[in-house]
Amino acid sequence: MDLRHNEIEGNSEPTQSLGQTSHLALDIGGSLIKVVYFSISRDNCIDREQESSANDTLGFSNGNCKHPILQGRLHFAKFETSKINDCLEFISSKKLHLGGFQHHENPGKNKNFIKATGGGAYKFTELFKENLGIDLDKEDEMDCLVAGANFLLKAVHHEAYTYIDGQKEFVQIDQNDLYPYLLVNIGSGVSMIKVDGDGKFERVSGTNVGGGTFWGLGRLLTKCKSFDELLELSHQGNNRVIDMLVGDIYGGMDYSKIGLLSTTIASSFGKAVSDNKELEDYKPEDVARSLLRMISNNIGQISYLNALRFGLKRIFFGGFFIRGQPYTMDTISVAVHFWSKGEAKAMFLQHEGFLGALGAYVSYAKHSIDDLVCNQSMQLPVSASYTADPNYNPLNGDFNDNESIQCSVYAA
Amino acid sequence: MAGLKDDPVLGINDMIETREETEIKDAVIDKVREEGGQGDREMAPMGNSIHRSGSRPQLDLSKAAIQGNSEERDPTILLPNQSDDISHLALDIGGSLIKLVYFSRHEDRTINDKRKKTVKERLGISNGNRRSYPILGGRLHFVKFETRKINECLDFISSKQLHRGGIDTHGWLSEAPANCSAVIKATGGGAYKFADLFKERLGVSLDKEDEMDCLVAGANFLLKAIRHEAFTHMEGHKEFVQIDHNDLFPYLLVNIGSGVSMIKVDGDGKFERVSGTNVGGGTYWGLGRLLTKCKSFDELLELSQRGDNRTIDMLVGDIYGGMDYSKIGLSASTIASSFGKAISEKKELEDYRPEDISLSLLRMISYNIGQISYLNALRFGLKRIFFGGFFIRGHAYTMDTISFAVHFWSKGDAQAMFLRHEGFLGALGAFMSYEKHGLDDLMVHQLVERFPMGAPYTGGKIHGPPLGDLNEKISWMEKFVLKGTEITAPVPMAPPGTTGLGGFEVPSSKGGTLRSDASALNVGVLHLVPTLEVFPLLADPKMYEPNTIDLSDHNELEYWFTVLSEHLPDLVDKAVASEGGTDDAKRRGDAFARVFSAHLARLMEEPAAYGKLGLANLLELREECLREFHFVDAYRSIKQRENEASLAVLPDLLMELDSMTEETRLLTLIEGVLAANIFDWGSRACVDLYHKGTIIEIYRMSRNKMQRPWRVDDFDVFKERMLGSADKKPHPHKRALLFVDNSGADIVLGMLPLARELIRRGTEVVLVANSLPALNDATAMELPDIVAEAAKHCDILRRAAEAGGLLVDAMINTLDGSKENTSSVPLMVVENGCGSPCIDLRQVSSELAAAAKDADLIILEGMGRALHTNFNARFKCDALKLAMVKNQRLAENLIKGNIYDCVCRYEPAS
Repeated sequence: MDLRHNEIEGNSEPTQSLGQTSHLALDIGGSLIKVVYFSISRDNCIDREQESSANDTLGFSNGNCKHPILQGRLHFAKFETSKINDCLEFISSKKLHLGGFQHHENPGKNKNFIKATGGGAYKFTELFKENLGIDLDKEDEMDCLVAGANFLLKAVHHEAYTYIDGQKEFVQIDQNDLYPYLLVNIGSGVSMIKVDGDGKFERVSGTNVGGGTFWGLGRLLTKCKSFDELLELSHQGNNRVIDMLVGDIYGGMDYSKIGLLSTTIASSFGKAVSDNKELEDYKPEDVARSLLRMISNNIGQISYLNALRFGLKRIFFGGFFIRGQPYTMDTISVAVHFWSKGEAKAMFLQHEGFLGALGAYVSYAKHSIDDLVCNQSMQLPVSASYTADPNYNPLNGDFNDNESIQCSVYAA
Repeated sequence: MAGLKDDPVLGINDMIETREETEIKDAVIDKVREEGGQGDREMAPMGNSIHRSGSRPQLDLSKAAIQGNSEERDPTILLPNQSDDISHLALDIGGSLIKLVYFSRHEDRTINDKRKKTVKERLGISNGNRRSYPILGGRLHFVKFETRKINECLDFISSKQLHRGGIDTHGWLSEAPANCSAVIKATGGGAYKFADLFKERLGVSLDKEDEMDCLVAGANFLLKAIRHEAFTHMEGHKEFVQIDHNDLFPYLLVNIGSGVSMIKVDGDGKFERVSGTNVGGGTYWGLGRLLTKCKSFDELLELSQRGDNRTIDMLVGDIYGGMDYSKIGLSASTIASSFGKAISEKKELEDYRPEDISLSLLRMISYNIGQISYLNALRFGLKRIFFGGFFIRGHAYTMDTISFAVHFWSKGDAQAMFLRHEGFLGALGAFMSYEKHGLDDLMVHQLVERFPMGAPYTGGKIHGPPLGDLNEKISWMEKFVLKGTEITAPVPMAPPGTTGLGGFEVPSSKGGTLRSDASALNVGVLHLVPTLEVFPLLADPKMYEPNTIDLSDHNELEYWFTVLSEHLPDLVDKAVASEGGTDDAKRRGDAFARVFSAHLARLMEEPAAYGKLGLANLLELREECLREFHFVDAYRSIKQRENEASLAVLPDLLMELDSMTEETRLLTLIEGVLAANIFDWGSRACVDLYHKGTIIEIYRMSRNKMQRPWRVDDFDVFKERMLGSADKKPHPHKRALLFVDNSGADIVLGMLPLARELIRRGTEVVLVANSLPALNDATAMELPDIVAEAAKHCDILRRAAEAGGLLVDAMINTLDGSKENTSSVPLMVVENGCGSPCIDLRQVSSELAAAAKDADLIILEGMGRALHTNFNARFKCDALKLAMVKNQRLAENLIKGNIYDCVCRYEPAS
């Protein structure tokens, strides 16, 4: 993971070191910290009067200029929550916190605050204060998720895609026909949110069997050192060794009467029961595979049932569990397809892991700017151009195509 | 006269058949027969001028006798050795467990539909069935084995010869020889997998039934036929749910086996598998094994009871620094991510307690199942969700978790319900799939569930052959005595921690303690008694609840358990003495005491273990235990002695009564019933009294103390109904049903004189007595002898008894005698269909039901039948409830009175 940070840093380093204005929002989850920050690219910089001032980065606080346009990049980075110090160091080294807003009402205090969401925004308030001298301005987690998703679905071309049988296919979303949809955010746990419009949503369901379960159980079962390692393992595994399939019960026959193929999993880990094998006797690869299928399938099923319940045609899956992992996406897609008898489709997001952080980022607008005009202008703050890598290589196990979005910000 | 000679033999025979119910072996039967014979002779000494007509009381004189005689010649019932002559078997072979349901049937005539019909016809007119006991349709047994120990299962089937009784092509009701290749119905995946093994080992073919078909058929049967089958389980509190059969469908059936199937059931045979999940019991056990090294499912489950999932699960509070995320309704204790903490810490598998892992896993899976089930119920608009399958195993925590999930996600709109026979749905369904088994038509009131000895111990365990043999049972008990108390000692269950599960409050299984094998299933043997019926005079059978005392109140429960425990040594003494005080009897007595104590201990821990528990059930359980150890009638000699003593003073009493005016006499008679009701061996207080005087002394003393007003005193209203007021003379009742209580003074000096008064006033009297002995209660078997003896000294009784067919010689006399003799209204005796000191009027003998047809007065006498049960029952006809309260606590609770207070409650027909 750290490696990847480095790559990201590598990309943005030049602009950083040049003291460009930057801007930061955080999503501090149970297992991961997601960071989104903005940097103005010098060469693309539009002619502006106050760009050199680090303290009013985007010009939000002084509205004396009408709609300045900042061209720059949104950067995405993540850290393990357990290694929060790395994150603090990262912020500090890049001086990201210095680009934070001052409270508009009392600029005299000269105190920076950073938008943050996720449970850790509460938990680590003191730590940020101590280490970086900044306040975390807490944004509601669901608000952020939804805002982030809405932002991405509207502003970024090729954000949503389906993944079926190894085929990734981008879906063009008609902005006028976006709502309602079901947003499934798979973090440590899973939240399922019915989204009806900007800021209009309801958390309708969720499940405690999520990414944390995969990683936690996976660690206990395989001794993997990281989530990514575990995912990698699952690629090479064969779940039939451990899962009880319909065929295992029916002596190789399908239970066709109720539409179950002999390869359908009847009981995840069900074979671990009847065998006389111990944990050590199973290949970690197989264990990881079974686990991944169990959890993906379960999330897919519960998501579909909730979509059905509210008559939602689209289900978007986000959150760090997925990580563009083909097998995960495949399983979720299959589950949705299976239970909906082909009527519903699972869709995934390029920036799946950063919904909350992006939402927090977007939320700077509403708190910092007084007048309506500015709010409106922030509705579509970014026109993003983004090149996705269509030849996604699963073996990279990576989401490095997420690293940044080139964008322009129209500030008030 | 040949028929007459046969009578006593038949009586004995009936007795034997009933005892077979408790699996008496042949040798014992012979012994019983001998004793029974002696008993008969003692009760009705030869040379009496009036002979009783066998054991069988009859309602209508002439026809009954003739038909009875013709029936008695039918040889098939005279085969005492033919106990389990038709057995029957169905299997559900799952991935981890084999569930087996088998049926044993006694040789009886219900097999023949035509015969059944004629018997029924006769019941309406003459009730001339010569049996003393309800015809036993048979018993359904539930057994399970581990699939990997399939040989144990094969051995079991083979030893019981269950496969021989298997269905042949002629249908199971035929008595065709079972040598044609037997076919056994089986379901579950193993029915395919092990087909060859069964062929090889037992020579039987497995006839595969569809799994879903079976599940649904089994669930439908249970929900319709068993009264206390479905229950809710929230926060440790178990509550049985009364299912209206007409409003059962549609429902969602969730069967949690290795995997989980969710089935929408719309009717018999109408269903659709709408969903399921691969995260089920197999996942729990499989993952659990890998993570904890547990050797069995039950071990894993047991571990979970001492676990604290907070060490492994990531809670909302962990993420939010101890705060709730209240905006979306998540409390700090909600599990945000199962096993989520195993991520961030530096701990390895070995660093976690297996207990915690097991609990985390259990919660994750149960909660997930609950959630998916609810979503599916919602989708189809189903209000009820029933959970079955072997994953649950009556495990309180599992049920709490599932209930919580359903409750949480439905915001209280939907309820999770569980089934007591949860694991046997498939096997039962396979059993149902035999054609013409007749089970479909069974009604709730025709099933009686018994909990034989093994229940407290082996109820939930995977076990091999049930102990059928008496000696086996006794030595088994003795073994446990040697092992000390470890078996019975309840293991206190640690409160399952303070964390909520995926939600708010802690689903704590409060209820104090849970037994160590909390997974115990509480499944008894189902007795199919086709002759049982709902008492037709109940005003509102649907709302009827026999028990007055609700033992779900823990104090009440504790009190009655103490009462029963304290009474136990005395009962054992009596029982042993009744069997001649032999060493064998002592051993049996010991074993009985232990078994009954174990039942009590079991029920103390989990009062709802055997279904909804009322005092009546407890008292009946005691009698069942006695019978299980072949104490056929513990109070036999006491009853005889007291009957004789009371009969000796009866003439004096009758003379005294006859000298009174009608009004005084009625009062004295009621006083007499109340006074005589003091003779009750079921009451500790009364047992102490016995040492203080003779029967008649106590009776008189007691009667003289009967100062009105009684604590509950409706005598004046009753008197007005009986005698009218001023010049208005009311019609006498047409027929009165007198539910009698104890032997001795109670029946002889209390109820008989009252019956005599009614007869005198032109009311037919039917004495309703127990089918089987319970304490010192009079039985239907004994009553004809008592009446016959009483009739020797009283013309009124004699003529009525003759008219009722109770006196055979006299009956024959009437055939060629004068008409005046028959002018009396009849006095009859019917059995009530039960063997308990209490009576559940939802399940009475068909002859009582028939006798009730013309009845317009019911008199319930005694604590058991008028107070413990039926105190609040309402009837379509006039009802009089008479009892002396011989228990201080009951007196306080029920009538705000004291011990020895009296109840005379009269309720005119509504």
